Amino acid sequence: MLRYSAKQLLNMALTLFAVSFLVFALNELSPGDVARKILGPYASESQVDHLTVQMGLDRPAIVRYFEYMGKALTGDFGDSIVFRMPVADLMFDRLGNTLLLAAISFAVIVPLSVVLGVLAGMRERGWFDRTISVFSSMCASIPEFAMGVFLLGIFVVWLGWLPGTSPLRSDSGWAIWMQFVLPVLVVTFYDAGYLIAMVRSSMVEVMRQPYIRTALLKGMSFNRVVSRHALRNALITPFTVILLQLNYLVSGLVVVETLFAYPGFGRMMLEAALAKDIAVIEAGTLIAVSVTMLTQLFGDLGYMALDPRIRV
Amino acid sequence: MTEKLHPIIEKAGREFADGKLERREFLRLAVLLGVAAPAAYSMVGLAAPALAQGAPKKGGIVRIGMRVQDISSPHTYSWIESANSARQVLDYLTVTGIDNVTRPSLVEKWEASPDLKTWTLHLRKDVTWRKGRKFTADDAVWNLKRVLDDKTGSSVVGLLKGFILTEYDGGEKDAKGAPRKSVKLWDANAIQKVDDFTIKLNGNSANLSIPESLFHYPLLICSPEDGGKFGVGSDGTGAFELVEHEVGKRSVFAANKKAYWGGGPYIDRYEIIDLGDDAAAQVSALASKQVDMIYQGAISTLPTVEKLPHVQVNSVATGYTAVARTHPIKPFDDKRVRQALRYATDNDAVLKGALRGLGKPGEHHHVAPVHPEYADIGYLKQDIAKAKALLAEAGYPNGIDVTIDARPQPDWELLAVQIMVEQWKEAGIRCKINVMPSAQYWANWTKVPFGFTTWAHRPLGTMILGLAYRTGAAWNEANWSNAEFDKLLTEAEGYLDVEKRRAVMAKLERIMLDDGPAVVPVWRAVFNYSDKKIKGYKIHPSIYIDAKDMWIDA
Amino acid sequence: MTEIIHDIGRPRAAPGLGLAGDAHVGLLRQVLNILTRSPLATVGASILLAWSLLALLAPWVSPYPPNRIDVALVADPYPSAAHWLGVDHLGRDILSRLIWGARTVLTVAPIAVLGAVALGVFLGLVSGYRGGFIDTVIMRIGDTLLAFPKIILYLIIIAKFGASAFNIIAVITLSSAPIIARIVRGVTLDVKNRDYVAAARMRGESALFIMFVEILPNARGPLIVDFFLRLGYTTIAIGVLGFLGVGLPPPDPDWGGMVKEAYGMIFVWPHMTIIPALAISSLVIGANFLATGLREASLDG
Repeated sequence: MLRYSAKQLLNMALTLFAVSFLVFALNELSPGDVARKILGPYASESQVDHLTVQMGLDRPAIVRYFEYMGKALTGDFGDSIVFRMPVADLMFDRLGNTLLLAAISFAVIVPLSVVLGVLAGMRERGWFDRTISVFSSMCASIPEFAMGVFLLGIFVVWLGWLPGTSPLRSDSGWAIWMQFVLPVLVVTFYDAGYLIAMVRSSMVEVMRQPYIRTALLKGMSFNRVVSRHALRNALITPFTVILLQLNYLVSGLVVVETLFAYPGFGRMMLEAALAKDIAVIEAGTLIAVSVTMLTQLFGDLGYMALDPRIRV
Repeated sequence: MTEKLHPIIEKAGREFADGKLERREFLRLAVLLGVAAPAAYSMVGLAAPALAQGAPKKGGIVRIGMRVQDISSPHTYSWIESANSARQVLDYLTVTGIDNVTRPSLVEKWEASPDLKTWTLHLRKDVTWRKGRKFTADDAVWNLKRVLDDKTGSSVVGLLKGFILTEYDGGEKDAKGAPRKSVKLWDANAIQKVDDFTIKLNGNSANLSIPESLFHYPLLICSPEDGGKFGVGSDGTGAFELVEHEVGKRSVFAANKKAYWGGGPYIDRYEIIDLGDDAAAQVSALASKQVDMIYQGAISTLPTVEKLPHVQVNSVATGYTAVARTHPIKPFDDKRVRQALRYATDNDAVLKGALRGLGKPGEHHHVAPVHPEYADIGYLKQDIAKAKALLAEAGYPNGIDVTIDARPQPDWELLAVQIMVEQWKEAGIRCKINVMPSAQYWANWTKVPFGFTTWAHRPLGTMILGLAYRTGAAWNEANWSNAEFDKLLTEAEGYLDVEKRRAVMAKLERIMLDDGPAVVPVWRAVFNYSDKKIKGYKIHPSIYIDAKDMWIDA
Repeated sequence: MTEIIHDIGRPRAAPGLGLAGDAHVGLLRQVLNILTRSPLATVGASILLAWSLLALLAPWVSPYPPNRIDVALVADPYPSAAHWLGVDHLGRDILSRLIWGARTVLTVAPIAVLGAVALGVFLGLVSGYRGGFIDTVIMRIGDTLLAFPKIILYLIIIAKFGASAFNIIAVITLSSAPIIARIVRGVTLDVKNRDYVAAARMRGESALFIMFVEILPNARGPLIVDFFLRLGYTTIAIGVLGFLGVGLPPPDPDWGGMVKEAYGMIFVWPHMTIIPALAISSLVIGANFLATGLREASLDG
């Protein structure tokens, strides 16, 4: 297991290097006029030239790449041209906000989907299973932006119960916890729909196994079979999938964050991509890729621990 | 009036009496040449506009939804939003009001020499910096010299170049390595301190609009002790102090304990909240009262905001527009094709659909009714048959296929493009739309063959024509060249007399209709939203926002 | 975007992706068979079929040209006898835009997914059959692409190259192909040493023949299910891109773009936003139901 982890970590380092180069190359293929972007449409040509030289953007791309990577290795990710602050500080702040939203959503989604998924998969094609299947399938099919817009219409404009944006400040007239309600609700509807289906199908598969049928035939009570034998095995597969939700929750929240003006990682990446804020795109992508690969590694390790049949 | 009037005012006064000069232009002229605004208003028989809405109450907070940008270098600002942050702390030497009339600010009164080359500025004597020092001529001179220094990189240079700067070869290179002309003050004594509260600007050539130029938004008067930098705690002569600032999130301004020399402020705190570029999120914040104002409204949110009972829409007519302009390459190298484009456009429909009627229909010559020398040469009505005939004459009986480049913000622009494209289709101009992110558009705006470009309001028609259509001008994005036009434009710029300028302007406008490269569909009104409890606020045509005038009627 | 998870899940994490049975029974008959047995699949297929028909017949069934602007209609944009689903903020008929928009999404999404399948199948077969260095290189590149969170990959590429149907198809193809390659590679590794493959090799068949004729049919089941699931996610992805303002360029109707354009007005004119949002949801539901039904039926064997 130790050897496996070491190998995977090495893999990760190589991938990160490849990704960093790819992102840099993509941005250089069609370089936007960075100085013009910073200064806006009404700045004079000489102002633009001034800044281009000042920022060193007139030097060859490859020089800038190695300079950037050299600094990045020492923890200096440069300055954001959109947000005008060190990328490291910015990233830390936005990632923190997103992780907070992700953690709250996680705490709602996981118990909800495990309970509903197990209950549904326990008696395949029963009325509860049918209802939950259709419900979860529908939830996963309504895009977050559509769901967000519906909920905004109901709770903000019609009922006026909740705030329309979530700047995470308590002095805007709304308690912070209230600012989390709508974003969490949107994420939950969408993501739980998918997880419920995963847990359910895994449960269904386990319930079809011969040893479960045997146990039932031997006269063991249904509830006992489920809790003693089925549950553990049924949760091995979803365990990996649940861990992988973390990826989605880190970078996939763009839509929700945009919708509610939530100061998170996803919205930052959207703005950076549109403005070609290369320093932010680089660092953000590297972080997102690291998160993906680390969760994958943990998923694999956890999977091995849970399922003794698998050896790497 | 005890003082002697400037000779131009006397002449203008006669023209005004003869009915040759419009009230507004006379007003502007008189004030620019040193007549106090209330006096100027009374000279033309008008009452000065009043902002008063009952007695202001003290206290409260105003929160506005606006981008929070990097504001560390006021003299090089290139965004109105930045200036709208810093102006709460720093003052300008003059202020141009919502009526387009320039009034005193830190400069109490000014005089121009008869040849308009020398301007004497008298500073207020009762202004102190927040940190206690008295505001004097040294402070003003330091700021003026700094913005005009080539190394600072301020856009004020472009505005005052002809008046007070000369070009020389300083061995500088631009970003592409080509040699670049440097500029410096034409004379060591160009900016002259006369005494502690008097400055003289000794120009190289005549300039009528010095007081207006002093209100160019980066010309904020900073304390020399801050070295041109601005941030939390920076000194200022304004009504507020910046106490918190985080780019992309928010800025907080606290009212100074000491009374402001210009009256106010009434509110205790002014906060700027960054809500991102998404217009709908801004309205959500307004609807749930998380902000009290939105810096600038968007067409997509207007229908909703009109329904919010606690919010009002503020709007003002301007010379803002966006123009669909062509490069002189096939098929637009033929002027008949360019004419066809204009005849195929229904400006009224664009105004109604893209701006919900907020503004005026354009007349395709980029001179607006708000410009003093505007000449009414009639409104070019949509005429599909004529457009088709022109295309056929030009050798395109089956129409043409083209692509227009546009950008997604502000949203009315894309709506206008979609509406025009549908109108053009009827005339056989089949046009595709290519939407680029704004950053990409501004990197290419002069290079795209057919594009839809925003143009900001300029006070004079000659200014806009000179910037955008004169042969070889840096911002002549259409690469258009017309010798007759250039000659007439130079002639028009030479007349101070508005009537003479108007006569030439009529010719220029006709050339624009006949040969010009652009479709100018609308003059848009700018608008924004504010909570009805906010009093003392009126929208400025450039959306300059001063918190010191606001008060809250709870 | 759930697609991200779906993509990263290893084949083993998606249980029972297999149409059971004899590769020699006609594919069409097999599919029809499943459709009649699974009500879920029937509902899903009907929804997809209905949208496809509307898209195909758009020029004849659409009541108005989709881009025709009539600003006067905005005074009363709600559904009426003349405009069954009302008009949008420029007075364009929403029903017509939906129908033409179906054409867009039902062209872009299937082409993107088919492109991904084609590329993924090819790479998966080569990788699994050849093994060795080629396998390592292909899988390494695939892993790198998969390590990108999808939405970030989309944003970077589209912000660089612009939003056009071609670029959207390209980016979806590129980001989905690696996972399909994985599925196919798994199947290839499983069967490449079976007797009938060895027999074909003995007969002197070319490697290409063996890969596509002998091995590929074994992956057919998982691929079909995956195709419909992916169709659903791709529809959402196109909608999300439209919503974030980097979708297909106007004026041609794009469902996500329709939501984006109108959602600032949801408080006054909710139908302009809700109708296209429902259209996207229905198409995704159709694809998901069909995929679920197919999988269920195949599990029954």
